Amino acid sequence: MVTNVAARFSSISLVVVTLCILLFCAGCSVRRVVFNDVVTLEQVNFIRVGQTTMLELADHIGAPDEVTESEFGVVALYNWSDTKSAALDFGAVARPFLPYAPTMTLNKTGITPEQFQVVFDPQWTVRAYGFSRRTTDEPVIWFWPF
Amino acid sequence: MLFVKQLAGIIIVLVLTQGCVVSRGTIGEPIQEDALSRIKKGTTTMAEVVSAIGAPDRIVRGNDREIFHYYYYDAKSPALLLLLLNFIRMDIKSDNLYVFFNKNGIVEEVVYGKRTGHTQFRLWPFGD
Repeated sequence: MVTNVAARFSSISLVVVTLCILLFCAGCSVRRVVFNDVVTLEQVNFIRVGQTTMLELADHIGAPDEVTESEFGVVALYNWSDTKSAALDFGAVARPFLPYAPTMTLNKTGITPEQFQVVFDPQWTVRAYGFSRRTTDEPVIWFWPF
Repeated sequence: MLFVKQLAGIIIVLVLTQGCVVSRGTIGEPIQEDALSRIKKGTTTMAEVVSAIGAPDRIVRGNDREIFHYYYYDAKSPALLLLLLNFIRMDIKSDNLYVFFNKNGIVEEVVYGKRTGHTQFRLWPFGD
C-alpha cells in the first residue's frame, strides 16, 4: 500500500515537472544569424604600418569583403555580424487547448554589424587600420524588449 | 505484420523529423579556382580575365587602377519548429576575389579569399 502511494506520487511529480518544463519553454523562439567569422585583435597583431601589404593581409585573414576608395586612400573592409533574436509567446500555452491561437509576444533582436578597416597608401601597404567598434556579447536568449 | 512494422517505422521517422526545416541560399556563382590559375600577373589582360572567369560583380577604382571584384555568398539554415519551441540558425559566409589591373589593363595582383568551405548546418543557436 505504501509502495503504491509512493509510486503514484512519483508519477504525479514527473507529470508536474514535465508540464512545468513545457510551460517554461512554451512559445519560446530562438533565432541566430552569423555572418562571416570574427576578426580578432590577435589575428591582426602582425600588421605593421608602412610595411604590411594587401597580399600579406589577405594571406593572414582572407580577402576583404569590400574595397573602396576614400580621400585617405583605398580602404579594405572586413564585415561580420552576429544577430540574435529571441521571442516568448505567452499565447502558445493556450494553443493545445483552444480552437484559436492567441498571441502575446515579447521579442528582442540585436543586430551587431562589425567591421575591420584597413587604409592603404598608393604602394598598397597599410597606412592605418582599426575596428569600427567592439560590442559586448549579448545573451542569446534576451526577449525582454523594455 | 511486415506492413504494420513498415508503417510504424514511417510514422516514427515522420514524428521525429516533423518541424525540421533545412534551407540554403546562395548569391552569385562559386568562384572557379581552376580559372584563377590561368591568370598570370604581369601578362594576363582585362579581356582575358573576363573570358576566364566572367564579368565582375563590381568594378572598383582605387589608386588610379581598376579593380574587379567577384563575390559569392553561401547561407545554410537549419530550423526546428515545434509546437512550443523554435530554434532557427543561419550561417552565412562569403568568397571574394579581387583582380587588380595596372594602368595598361594588365593584371598586377590577385587577392582571393574563400570562406564558404566552412559554412555549416548548425541548429544549436547557443555558443560560438
